Amino acid sequence: MSKNPFPFETVSRRNLLKLGAATGVLGPLALGTGSVQAVNARIHVVIVGAGAGGTSMANRLSQVLNGAKITIVDTREQHYYQPGWTLVASGVWEKSKTVTSTADWLPSGVDWVKGKVAEYDPDNNRVILEDGQQLGYDQLIVATGLQLRYEWIEGMDTRLIGQGKGVGSVYAGVDEAAKTSEEIDQWIASSQGKGLFNLPPTALKCAGAPLKMTFTTLSRLEASGQREAYDVEFMTPSGRLFGVDFYNQFVKQRFEEQGVTRNDHWTLKSLDSDAKRATYSVEGGPDQVKDYDFIHVVPPMTAPDSLLNSPLVNQEGESFATWMKVDRETLQNPDYPNVWGIGDVMGMPSNKTAASVKMQAKVLEQNFVAHLQERPLPAKHNGYTSCPLITSIGKAMLVEFGWNGELLPSFSFIDPKEESWTVWVMKERMLRPAYYAMLEGQI
Amino acid sequence: MTITGTLTVLWYSAQPWLWLIALMVVLFLVPQVIARLKGYHFSAKGGKGSKYFPPLIFILSIFLVPLHTDSTLAYVNTWVDWIALLGASFGLALYAWLVFHPICYLRNHKA
Repeated sequence: MSKNPFPFETVSRRNLLKLGAATGVLGPLALGTGSVQAVNARIHVVIVGAGAGGTSMANRLSQVLNGAKITIVDTREQHYYQPGWTLVASGVWEKSKTVTSTADWLPSGVDWVKGKVAEYDPDNNRVILEDGQQLGYDQLIVATGLQLRYEWIEGMDTRLIGQGKGVGSVYAGVDEAAKTSEEIDQWIASSQGKGLFNLPPTALKCAGAPLKMTFTTLSRLEASGQREAYDVEFMTPSGRLFGVDFYNQFVKQRFEEQGVTRNDHWTLKSLDSDAKRATYSVEGGPDQVKDYDFIHVVPPMTAPDSLLNSPLVNQEGESFATWMKVDRETLQNPDYPNVWGIGDVMGMPSNKTAASVKMQAKVLEQNFVAHLQERPLPAKHNGYTSCPLITSIGKAMLVEFGWNGELLPSFSFIDPKEESWTVWVMKERMLRPAYYAMLEGQI
Repeated sequence: MTITGTLTVLWYSAQPWLWLIALMVVLFLVPQVIARLKGYHFSAKGGKGSKYFPPLIFILSIFLVPLHTDSTLAYVNTWVDWIALLGASFGLALYAWLVFHPICYLRNHKA
């Protein structure tokens, strides 16, 4: 397995860009797309969150807004390439491949406030930080990402991951992803036992990740030469494995072929990590208890608390309650037209992936500028999202779809319904550079 | 995806490998320049190295390129996979010929 063997992998991004410019070979290719005309706008834009969506918008808006003050709010000193965490948790990547400095990605001229928003007050065009500081704005972009609700699973604590108790979770963080891989190694080293893999009862980011973790673990079990010594079970709260019918059926069939027992309408309720026992609530029946040697926990997810307590969230009874209220095509909040959303925080089907952010950023940039110019909003998000569905370590399917599960392949020559080595290479070698190009607003 | 977008992604993908690309360019140019100063041209007589190494590298690449990407030849499945793999292997074999052919020429002339 590749373990970051080349020293330039650890050289800072800015130095690499300088080196690239110095070679002058391919430099012109890195020019921006420049699809939106720059405008003069003496306004204050506040972006909450310096993840994929926030950083991408900071870069895009700093290029198209002349005279604007842009403030980005986030506490995180490090930026994580989260789509790489499944590779870390599968033992394919070192965790260092997914970690860069937040400061490296923020354009000069953007103010970085290292704080966390405690309260949104859109009626008064301000956000209030946890330290009491108030930030007024003319335009607000909410790009906070989502909140992982491990605490909703009784007995679950992310500190259990890596303690040799057989608990793993790719979502908890990059360190936990690496420890998840270690827990899987320990399980395999025990030469037997049961692994439980789960989906949450809520919307989730990178909805393919729980499946990828199952498939890559199956790869590792098969590579041990003793696959028959291990039981693998997969629990679904909804009875579905994937939102798009074709892939739902594909994964079901593949699970059958690979000896994975599926338990539909089971939701992880509690863990007893010392006894290695999980309790599930089962739709229409009594709770069920399962012993395990390894369990991959996927937590319920919601918008962050600060947003849930604000007028910016969908209310009970509305679609996508517990998520930010936006028009799914324009990404504008219908109640507060100077408030916009991007990324995982928004209430819409699927669309909680970096690939979605790539498309949303283009739409948001165009609509944001049009709104400042008092023009009709020209761009509409088509619901594009993408998931290179790893079906084994070394092959994958390029799953790309929009609203209603309509397939939206980017490359006419890649069959979205076939497993492919090329797609694996794209996932392993090219999507991280593509992500960084997106962060800088280049694609 | 647009052509500009694809080229931008390729450029970002190439950045960690610029040192290797530069090294390969040097390894290509040095024997070429030295040999051409001594009358070398592409149709000149090479040697055993330039005759046997490129096909060997082509065959080895078919097995090693998937391994280098944490995969295996067994997962090379679609026609796109095969074109990509054969293209990469042919490219490496051609590069080997471009390096070894002038080196063999120089050895022949030295002898």
